[in-house]
Amino acid sequence: MSYTIPIGPYHPALEEPYKIEITCEGEQVRDANLHIGFNFRGIEWLARQRNYVQNIALFERVCGICSNVHTLTYCMAVERLAEIDVPPRARYIRVVVAELERLHSHILWAGIAAHIMGFQTLFMTCFSLRELVMDLLEEISGNRVNYAMNCFGGVNRDIQDVANIMAGVQKFRLRLENQLIPIFTTDPTVRARCSGVGVMTKEQAIAWGALGPTARASGLTQDIRKAVPYAAYDQLEFDIPYKTSGDVLARIIVRVLEMVESCRIIEHALNTMPSGGWKGFVFLDVPPGEAVARVEAPRGEVFYYLASDGSDKPLRVKVRTPSFCNMPTVRLMLQGASLADVPLVQASIDPCYSCTDR
Amino acid sequence: MNMKAILSLLQTDQQFIQRTDGCWLEDPDLDVERMTVCMVEMGARLVTISAMPAADGETRLVYHWDIEGNLINLGTLTREGVIPSIAPNCPAADWIEREVKDYFAVDFSGRENLAPLVLRKGDHPGLFHWNGQLLEEKP
Repeated sequence: MSYTIPIGPYHPALEEPYKIEITCEGEQVRDANLHIGFNFRGIEWLARQRNYVQNIALFERVCGICSNVHTLTYCMAVERLAEIDVPPRARYIRVVVAELERLHSHILWAGIAAHIMGFQTLFMTCFSLRELVMDLLEEISGNRVNYAMNCFGGVNRDIQDVANIMAGVQKFRLRLENQLIPIFTTDPTVRARCSGVGVMTKEQAIAWGALGPTARASGLTQDIRKAVPYAAYDQLEFDIPYKTSGDVLARIIVRVLEMVESCRIIEHALNTMPSGGWKGFVFLDVPPGEAVARVEAPRGEVFYYLASDGSDKPLRVKVRTPSFCNMPTVRLMLQGASLADVPLVQASIDPCYSCTDR
Repeated sequence: MNMKAILSLLQTDQQFIQRTDGCWLEDPDLDVERMTVCMVEMGARLVTISAMPAADGETRLVYHWDIEGNLINLGTLTREGVIPSIAPNCPAADWIEREVKDYFAVDFSGRENLAPLVLRKGDHPGLFHWNGQLLEEKP
């Protein structure tokens, strides 16, 4: 006999609202139905009521974790339409902040995953490391979240103390390589809890449009930083980690390895950052037309579509976040899973409901 | 990427315009079901569908596809507010179409579940057409 368990909108795994109805046969999940929209703020509609500059602050608030990525993608779409060049130093600063944000996002997620696994010491280790990253972001931008770094044609702040940022990143990398990677890749608790759980095949990932580390854990290799380089990524050396097993463990390992690559990118960027201008524009005229921009956020590709009629307000801004694409795949991962694995599986895609609902 | 081959598969008289942000094609009569079958066979990933109001109460839809990093943007129009669903051939379109309905009240024919996604059950679809009116004031 099957039965349905409604979980949410407030639920045990993550502190954001969404609802999932789970149909079970005994302890085995047969199907799952996801409901979103509890964080819906109508941001795309609001964007039509504000001018281009005001919208930077609006899009910074699409997500509390990857706020920088949203302003970056929006600015890139506007810059493309207005045919504005970004100074080389500003491109490097954009990369450094974007990669620090990726570190922040991945280490936050790793801590939450450890918490859901019941591995509390690992949770504490991750969150102490997160503080290190947030201190670096605060030193660069003045803020721990919502960094307000991007503007049209440049950035709002320079990186002044390069040596200190470099030392902080190297310290993070050392603890990452010596502490976290061995635990996440070899600890029997992690393996027992995550190996073979919540599997998504490569074919499913393609059909459902999965993105980012979720897709790369299922054998897909696309990363917008390599496929369509932006900012200064074409000048920097890094690899794209991927796995083929498609389970929760693969998603963990891909993100942990991505953190190492982010450290490499930041170190390379800081070592080779050119001198010169970095400031952008406060005001600009955006001609009529349309443009799109894509950025590799911590959770996958962020996509912005922008249409302009030549006025000071955009005609339309479409915001497609990676969680919007990844969340429907939870249904596939849960079919056949154990009921006790539901919180871990749904957390394994690193969902952001704020992003998804907008 | 062979754009001529794509045009041939799409059976359209229009031409692609190459820009820095991908290839763009506009065809008000685009057969979106044919487009989807072609794109899926070529291994394309549906990035999203961008919608915006068009003349005569119709909605312009731009289907964004990614083929190995190349972006293909195919624009078309609804016909009397309706357009065939591509979700049966492309599961990634499931939530995207439901959200477009929430925002622009577009009906996607040929699919079973077109329930509200970000709006609540019973809400009137077409948020962009309400123009910010309160729930009880909307049409």
